[in-house]
Amino acid sequence: MKNSKVNICGIEFKNPIITASGTFGFGKEYDKFYDIQNLGGICTKGLTLNKKDGNPAPRIAETYGGMINAVGLQNPGIDYYLSHDDIELAKKDVVVIANVAGATIDDYIAIAKKISNSNAKMVELNISCPNVKAGGMAFGVKPEMVEKVTRAVKDVCSKPVITKLSPNVSNIADNARAAEAGGADAISLINTISAMAVNYKTRRPIIANNNGGMSGPCVKPVALKMVWDCYNAVKIPIIGLGGITSYTDVLEFMICGASAVEIGTYNFTNPMGAYEIAKDLDAYLERENLDINEIIGTLILN
Amino acid sequence: MKDRVGKIVYNKKLQEGIYKMELKFDDFEKVIGGQFIHILLNSKEHILRRPFCICDFDEKNKSIIICYAVVGDGTKELSKMKAGEEVKAMFPLGNGYIPKENENKIVLLGGGMGSAVLPAIARAFPEKEFISYLGFANKDKVVLEEEMNKLCSYVKVSTDDGSYKESGFITNILKQDLETLNPDAIVVCGPEIMYKVIKKTFADTNIPIYVSLEQRMGCGIGACLVCNCKIQRDGKQEYLRVCKDGPVFNLSEVVL
Repeated sequence: MKNSKVNICGIEFKNPIITASGTFGFGKEYDKFYDIQNLGGICTKGLTLNKKDGNPAPRIAETYGGMINAVGLQNPGIDYYLSHDDIELAKKDVVVIANVAGATIDDYIAIAKKISNSNAKMVELNISCPNVKAGGMAFGVKPEMVEKVTRAVKDVCSKPVITKLSPNVSNIADNARAAEAGGADAISLINTISAMAVNYKTRRPIIANNNGGMSGPCVKPVALKMVWDCYNAVKIPIIGLGGITSYTDVLEFMICGASAVEIGTYNFTNPMGAYEIAKDLDAYLERENLDINEIIGTLILN
Repeated sequence: MKDRVGKIVYNKKLQEGIYKMELKFDDFEKVIGGQFIHILLNSKEHILRRPFCICDFDEKNKSIIICYAVVGDGTKELSKMKAGEEVKAMFPLGNGYIPKENENKIVLLGGGMGSAVLPAIARAFPEKEFISYLGFANKDKVVLEEEMNKLCSYVKVSTDDGSYKESGFITNILKQDLETLNPDAIVVCGPEIMYKVIKKTFADTNIPIYVSLEQRMGCGIGACLVCNCKIQRDGKQEYLRVCKDGPVFNLSEVVL
């Protein structure tokens, strides 16, 4: 029977369409284009303990079929979020996932405690930021650090925790296992791929930060492979993302093992994008008289 | 807010590498000068929209006019589009310039392609008096002079190399004329270097100066925070969004 609902860690989503962190603010801009309650969920802009100014401009460069960004986590800080956007978002019938980031393990612990008192239903850990106490290497690189930061958050956070995995690693399945070992309730992947865009005339990178994270349709094949690898490595649910621009992309990710998906860059291409994908997916399920849950992880290898 | 479909009425070359395009929409929304339109190209490899200032508009005809220079792949593709073809576009975006009640005589100062912001500013407030000062590198870059002549009580054009009309930087020419003109406000659009020069050249005047900023954009609606500009307000510097908090700012607040 037709069903578009999915359940991740006991949280029910109307449909598996979630907007990705950093591409959707706190929902209010896109709510002017369509009622965001049509989405399964939204991931907030990455929140840090204190307000962050972010990187100088330019922060974005288009590449062939994709883009590179280096915003540097500009956000108003967790306390401002809790007293403003958290309250506004709570009025909406949509699953809110608070995306959080830190520069130290203590930051993650402090922010996880604060977010426990929020209206968000889940927490997504951005572990692609530099660990200032470990020479700036991202938390998400080494499996032992992925496990450590996940466990530190799990110990103090009352909400289900999604660890968002970086693709800039030697073996993402190892990091998926590490997140699971650390107690993650789910994982999401992929975060952006480390990349650079260069202007041959000035011989300089286009982005002020020199390098950034690549996203958009060009990363989809990488993301699909990684979702499949992780699906075969862990038992916890997977939220897949990377270059999704249509309901058939959603189906591909779910066939590779994702229980839900996030739409990121496509929101920029098409402000109605996430809404249209949700509607198109629903129409497909109706046509096929299909329960979306039946397709998860059904990839048939050659 | 809406994503709309615009049909190209014309896409004509004004000068080498500079084009003017009129887009007609079935459903139109009131626009003011200084606002922008975020256009999606039809080729799939271009996943980001291109923001263009609204150069001019025709409410009765439900059309928006943009004037653009070919600077990259996206504008190159746009320059090849023909009348009758369609593009998706979001507008109006950004704050735009609304003259204050006491701003009745307004100087519109354009530097190169920055002049493309100015016609719509004059068009939106016909009850105000506009005077324009347009500066270009040379005669092959001069655009929109005729349009500004229709919208302004007076237009002065200069080229840096003296190959057309007055010779010299338009900022210096305006500086010389400023006392006689005695405007209530100056609205400027040009390259960032021009804003730096203006900050210095006009440091001794109390006339409010508004500038239209430009930055690489993502969403265009204030969600993604990629088009940041540094603004000083109440003694504090912070990054604001060109697309949503701007693109028009008071120059005194802009940290260059």
